[in-house]
Amino acid sequence: MTGVVVMVADAPGPEKPAGVRRRARIRAITLESRAPGRAAAWYRQALGLRDADPLLTAGGVELRFTLGTSDAPNTLEPARIVLNFHVADIRTAEARLVALEAVWVRELERTRWGIIGTVLDLDGNYVQIVEPAPDSPPCLQRKEEQS
Amino acid sequence: MTKPALGSILLGTTNPHRLRDWYAAALAPDDSGEAFTEVTPTMFAGTFGDTSVLIDGRSDVADKNPDPGRVILNFHVDDARATADHLNTLGVTWLVDLEERAGGIFGTLVDPDGNYVQIIELKE
Repeated sequence: MTGVVVMVADAPGPEKPAGVRRRARIRAITLESRAPGRAAAWYRQALGLRDADPLLTAGGVELRFTLGTSDAPNTLEPARIVLNFHVADIRTAEARLVALEAVWVRELERTRWGIIGTVLDLDGNYVQIVEPAPDSPPCLQRKEEQS
Repeated sequence: MTKPALGSILLGTTNPHRLRDWYAAALAPDDSGEAFTEVTPTMFAGTFGDTSVLIDGRSDVADKNPDPGRVILNFHVDDARATADHLNTLGVTWLVDLEERAGGIFGTLVDPDGNYVQIIELKE
């Protein structure tokens, strides 16, 4: 997906009176990588996306990969920005990561927010899979999208 | 079949209140203080589109991101120029000034922790 300029389009919003702004929406994340093609393939497998899926998206957010310019081979502070992928079946998500031989930072653990596990991506970023608890706050309840 | 969704993005910071206030003022200016909810005294959650930003006070990061650009958050806005005008009233730091490209209008700014944030107005 490196270099692809297609972007996920927003649904048109309603007309707003002058001076009223709709809240900004996160529609893409750009990940710098030593090997963007390999990184994209890793995420595609980790998220269980089909090769036929034209864009690498997760819940309407596109993941983009660019060639890294940093001197450091791996992310220096992986706790700085962590991507939380919400899933309905954490065991299925775990199995995909095990099949990828992902490095686990934290194996699946039941917390007050739900069941959470953390792995490293190929560039050393933390990637979390989360099966939200039914009583976790609404802002943490986003789950899988229907495909 | 269902697919995983990017439910949230956690921003680790030594100053969660400052970062919360900045994202609220910068990207949810009309929410008058309701942009974020307090999850814990040092964690705040605000939803931007279908994805939440979790601002998490923690001690395993420095005051400033030593490696910005590794991960860039891309926010879509309705009117990039109006948004930029608003951001300028807040005195934000721009990494790349607003510019028109093939797909729309783009600009990149730096949040108080040094993270890069891109705003995008897509062409119709």
